[in-house]
Amino acid sequence: MNVDKTSAILQRLQSIGISLEKVSFLDHGYWVCEAKFSVGATSEYLLGLYSIQEAAAQIPVILFTELENKTVLDACAAPGGKTVQLADSMHNTGAIVALDIRRQRLTALTNQLERCRVKNTVVYFLDSRQVSQLRGGFDRILLDMPCSGNFAADKNWFNRRTIKDVERNAGLQREILAKTVKVLKDDGEIVYSTCSLEPEEDELNIDWAIRNLDLQVEEISCHGQRALTDVFGKCLDSSIEKCRRIWPGHTQGFFVCKLKRRKAA
Amino acid sequence: MIKPLDDFVSRFGTQITFDENFIVKKQGRYFLLSENVKRLTSEGFHYAGTYLGRVKDGKFFPSFNLLNMVAQKKASRINIEKKAEWLFICGRDVFEQGITKVAGSTKKGDYILVLNSYGECLGFGKMLRNLDRKRRGPAVENILDIGDFLRRER
Repeated sequence: MNVDKTSAILQRLQSIGISLEKVSFLDHGYWVCEAKFSVGATSEYLLGLYSIQEAAAQIPVILFTELENKTVLDACAAPGGKTVQLADSMHNTGAIVALDIRRQRLTALTNQLERCRVKNTVVYFLDSRQVSQLRGGFDRILLDMPCSGNFAADKNWFNRRTIKDVERNAGLQREILAKTVKVLKDDGEIVYSTCSLEPEEDELNIDWAIRNLDLQVEEISCHGQRALTDVFGKCLDSSIEKCRRIWPGHTQGFFVCKLKRRKAA
Repeated sequence: MIKPLDDFVSRFGTQITFDENFIVKKQGRYFLLSENVKRLTSEGFHYAGTYLGRVKDGKFFPSFNLLNMVAQKKASRINIEKKAEWLFICGRDVFEQGITKVAGSTKKGDYILVLNSYGECLGFGKMLRNLDRKRRGPAVENILDIGDFLRRER
């Protein structure tokens, strides 16, 4: 929901028969309880007054501190729900560089940007592993990783996924992390998220990042349970528990954490 | 470079002063950049800043961003009531009985912005006849409306 117009939008939606309930863990998120027609086809939606996004997927952006006037990288941006949320949180100040490698999904991304009147974003058809080709460093980096998904959001998940897929995705995520950390400014923040519940794509990757990329996990305060520190009989860095694991229920399954460069001792 | 933009805006009886230093054109598409966005925009970009519209086959197709910018000016416009709003965003023309307010020139052939009761721009159209008397029937031909966001993704 557009952060500057929330109460006015709520009144308008109620007046046209859309019943909403506040999501307890989001400042500007609402569950749709009842609607006489598609909430994706109202004038208010088409005017960009709100967007439709899964509740847990709205968490990563709210974990960043001080987004206004920052330079932000949205490394795997399409279809653009989080890009719009970032721009909204930044009040269209600063700049966002949004990357994706799926050209068809870039159309969805740019349509979202136009619908929501986003003015501060540059979109590149570029693999985030090649981000160093672009100018400058970034204050904030959103890594909403391509992942294996989870069975709560995909009924055929167990038929469509094998352990090989999970391992391949985990490897890709490490590559993206390793390349994007190089363009993070010294006092910058990375938010890493997946909608996968596989430890390979979540805790094990963060443990690897702590050991290999000189990153540290930051304490976050958000919905979800503390992450696992004992996985497949392996004891992980104790700071991993600062990450959040959101088990499927009211929301889809999700994993999220905030990383910074390790401070010199 | 920005003649197509100027020509389009002038059809609403107004003008916008664009700083050409902050406008980039790529494959017929025009974008308005802020200083911050310009700093990060290099040759290979796909989309940047505020998309203003595109020229295709010699014809200019505005974006909704540009229409909103025009709506901030003293441009020709009509406001329409709720039912007419719904029909308009479904691609239909505006009937005279759905119009609640008129401003600027409304002569046959003029371009006109179409706004809802909140003053939000829903798109634009072309006057089918002079709006100088109460008459039933279509008055504004729909050229572009925000329902296009749904139709373009089909």
